[in-house]
Formats: sequence, C-alpha cells, structure tokens
Amino acid sequence: MSRLIAAEWFKLRKRMMTWVVGIILVALVILLYSVLWSISGRVTTFGEHNEFTAEDLRRALFLQGAVPFALEIAGSFGTILAIILAAGAVGSEYSWGTIRLIATASSGRMQLMLAKLIVVFALTIIGVLIAVLVAVVYSAIITYVNGGSDYSFVTAPWVRDQFYSYVRTIFVMSPYITLGFAAAAIGRSTLAGVGAGIGIAFVEPLVGNLMRAGGSPWKDIPNYLINSNANVITLQNKVPPALPSFGPSARDLADQHVFSVEGAAIVLAVYVVVFIALALLFYRRRDIGSAS
Amino acid sequence: MLERTEIVRTEGLTKRYGSLTAVADMNLVVYANEVFSFLGPNGSGKSTTVGMILGLVRPTRGRATVFGHDMAVDAWPTLKRIGAVIESPAFYPYLSGYDNLKALAITLGDIPKGRIDEMLELVGLSSRGGDAYKTYSLGMKQRLGIASTLLRDPDLVILDEPTNGLDPAGTREVRELIPRLADEGHAVFLCSHLLHEVEAVSDRVAIVKRGRLIAEGTVQQLLGRGQYLRMRSADNEALARALGGVDFVRGVDHIDGYLRAEAPVDRAAELNQLLAGKGIYVSELSPWQVELENVFLELTGEEVT
Repeated sequence: MSRLIAAEWFKLRKRMMTWVVGIILVALVILLYSVLWSISGRVTTFGEHNEFTAEDLRRALFLQGAVPFALEIAGSFGTILAIILAAGAVGSEYSWGTIRLIATASSGRMQLMLAKLIVVFALTIIGVLIAVLVAVVYSAIITYVNGGSDYSFVTAPWVRDQFYSYVRTIFVMSPYITLGFAAAAIGRSTLAGVGAGIGIAFVEPLVGNLMRAGGSPWKDIPNYLINSNANVITLQNKVPPALPSFGPSARDLADQHVFSVEGAAIVLAVYVVVFIALALLFYRRRDIGSAS
Repeated sequence: MLERTEIVRTEGLTKRYGSLTAVADMNLVVYANEVFSFLGPNGSGKSTTVGMILGLVRPTRGRATVFGHDMAVDAWPTLKRIGAVIESPAFYPYLSGYDNLKALAITLGDIPKGRIDEMLELVGLSSRGGDAYKTYSLGMKQRLGIASTLLRDPDLVILDEPTNGLDPAGTREVRELIPRLADEGHAVFLCSHLLHEVEAVSDRVAIVKRGRLIAEGTVQQLLGRGQYLRMRSADNEALARALGGVDFVRGVDHIDGYLRAEAPVDRAAELNQLLAGKGIYVSELSPWQVELENVFLELTGEEVT
C-alpha cells in the first residue's frame, strides 16, 4: 500500500494539473483579498444593505479573520478544484490507457483505488493549507499597513478554533471529492467525475430551494442532500460578518429547519462512505481492458 | 525426455459479453524457455485471452493459471513475475520515459537501483530518457513498452505487437531480443500479426479465429500441416490425371503454370518414379515452400492485417 501511495504521489506531484489547480486556489485568495482591500479604500459603506463601514471591511481583512475567510474560499472554489483533481486522478488512467499498466503492477485493485484517494486528500489538505498561509501572509500585510498591531487574540483557544475550522472545511469538501472520484471510476473518464461533482455542487442548491418551495413531502428532502449539511458545518467557521460569504446565513438555515451539526456530519459521512464504496466496488468487479 | 515447466495454462477459458462470445473454450499451455506466439485476426479474442491470463478480465467460464495460481482468484503474487504490454504501450504523457519507468518501479517495489538506466540502455532510449513520453515516436513508445515489461525481470513476458512502429534496425533488435529472453529462462507470450516475425522467433504457435483455438503446435508442425510438391511437365493435364491415381497425393491445384500436389515432401523421388512409370516426365519437381502466412490465411480464411 505504501508503495502505491508513493507512486501516486510521484505521478500527481509531477503532473502540471496538480500545480495549476493549486496556483488557481492561491490566486483566488490573493485576488479576493486584493479586491476587498481595494474596495475598503474606496467606499464608505459596504454590504448587501450597506450595513458595514469601510473600516469594518478593513478590520475584517485583518489577521484575526484570515483563516476562516481563506477556508470560506477553499470550501467553495477550492472544492471545485479538488473535484477536478480527484476526477483526473482516476479518469486520466482510463483515457491514457495506463489503467492496465498500473492494474498489472499493483498489489490489489482496492489498494490502488485507496492509494489514489489518499493522495488526492493529501494534496487537498496541503492545497487548503497553502491557501490559508497565503491568506495569513496577505492579511498580516494589510494589518501592518493599516496600523493594526494588536495580536492579543492569538490565544490557545483561538488557534484551536482555527484548526477546527480547517478540519471542518476539509470534511465538508470530502463528499464532493469522493463523488467526483467515484463518478470518474464508474464512468471511466475525468469528464464523468468533473461533471457529476461540479454538477451536483451547482445544481443541488437550486433543486433544494425548489423542493423547499414545493412544501410537503418535498421540503424535507434537501436536509438529506450534501449541500444543506455542508452549509450547517461551514457556518461554524467564524467568518467576519463584513466579509462576503458563499453560503446561506445562519438565519436562512434556521428557517430551513436543517439538521444539527452532529446530524449534518453524520449525513456527510454517510455520503463519503457510500461514494468510496461505490468507487471500490465498481473498480474491483469490473473487467479492465478491451472486449476484442 | 525432460518434463517441461508449465508457466501458463488455460482450461476451457471462455468470455462472453452478453450474446457475444469473445473467447470460447480456450485451452493453451505455455512452457518455460519458449517463445509462444498467439496469432489471430483483429477481434479474434487475443487481447481478451491475455486480459484473462493477467487477471484483468474475469472469465465467464474456465480458468487461467499462471505459475499454478488461478488468476481470477489472487493475481498479485503472480503478476509480480509477469511483464506485459497489452494491445499498445500506454504511459503517462507528461512524464519522461525515465519517470514513467520510475513510477512503475515505485509501484512494483524491489527494483534494483540502476535497473531503469539499464533498461533504457537495452532498448536504445538512454539519450531520450529525460524527454516527455508525449514527444516519443511510435517506435520509441514501443521500446519503452519493452523496457517496462523487463523492468521487473519477469519470468513471463507478454508482448503485443512489439515491433509495431519500429524501424528496420529496431525490428531486428527486438527479433533478436525475443529468442534471447527465452534462452535466458523467460517464457515469452507473443501476440503478433507479423507472421514472418512469428515464424522467425517462435517455438510454438497458436492460431485463433472468432475466439476459438483453431490450430496449435510448433512452427514446423503448422508448416507441415499440408506438405506440397511443386511440379510441371510438358502436359500438365496428363500430369494432373496421373497424380489423381497416386494414393499418397491428397489433392492437386493449378497455380501459375505449375501443379501443386499435396503430398509428403520426403516421397518426391517415389512420386517421380511412379510418374515416369506412367510415361510422364516432369521437368521440375521441388518442395512447395509453405510459409506461416499461407497456413494462417488458409486456417482463418481472412486477410493478414
């Protein structure tokens, strides 16, 4: 197994796509910070209802809010990039025909798939960490330039809270990553994985809203879908209120009568297990090769 | 006679895809130290058979054992001893030739240091080992495929059209390499359409058509399936009539001004004497050179592709 992980790591590390996906995530963090910093110097009020002052926005960009905001970006845009990475890790093996090569060189089909998944998750964890570090550095610069020199917020509970936010974000990304992975394995192509992963990520909120508007018996179904439960967990990350959020507000979620954090975590975990099981099952049982 | 070591054995190996039978009741044996060639037209079930031998394709019925292991049950311990390129070499396009072999070496484990360089040297890719695979010509891809099969120093080497895309020099190198591998103790399972190549390097040959084994034996056995004598005389019609009365002549064809008689080559002198006794004197009498290509075409009834 360790050999398979090392080989997958070697291949994905050498692949341009891996670096491009990472660079896009970092660039998005830099871009959003730059845009918001620029806006904070040009406007007097900010927000959907002009409820924040420019100073509120500037202070939100300070170091204290850097981790949750970076995680907010990673949890939304980063998820799409992670789906592409996961689907590409499996689907490309089929499009290049290398699936036969690795299948005859691997110590087992299940181990091969698990090794791929482990490396995809490892790269996702590293990618999100880099995005957070970039945000922290950029935020430190903004803090310094604006004269904010109070670092008393850096306490053990604060550090622990940032770590929990980080874990929560990776956890919320997991169902989408495993969905993209499983769909690529079942569909034997990168496109199938990317299509399913990104498609669900975009379509599910729309369908969920329609179902909620439809009343009984539809309105409760979205509570069992990925998006609602992901939002429940993501909301635990304390993004400064002045900064843009890519998910629904706490009030919206309360109106939707969603599951508790624990309930949402269980639902997402079930999805992860089901997607991994499907990927392993299909790959294990299916013939590899042509039918000539 | 020494007992030969069996490397591959298939027993009643069958694969069906719905109503299509890709491979039917295939029984093969491949021994150590031999080059075994597997011939058949496109779509005849060669790759599916190889897939079942490697445990990549599950048989509908029957079984394939390699080194005594049932490949449908636990392939890995055996796969470590097999080097295979199926259908066509496939590698990671963004990796160099060297890195492709390195990725494979990491996956396999226990590949000695320096083995990758050794293999690149063997197939003549040392100077291009650092270049991306996507920049390789078809011949270079084939060479890398051969290097990848030999990387683990396998006991069984499976090569599918190994000279496809190679230049004449490369083709000659591979033709020299294949028997050398057998001499060194490897069993070689060669899938090829190039019948001259097969004839030159093979110890035994199996011919498949529509998933069924239709002939198997040594090259000499297959070539000797139908032995022919080529002859002509001043009156070929009279000669043909006379041949019809000879008990060991099984058939006569008119080809390009000659008669081709299906008869044992070693009875040519006897035949000549019989014909002379009937007052027919042949101006030419010689063995008809049968090539594997003729046997293949005759058995499969298809064009060589």
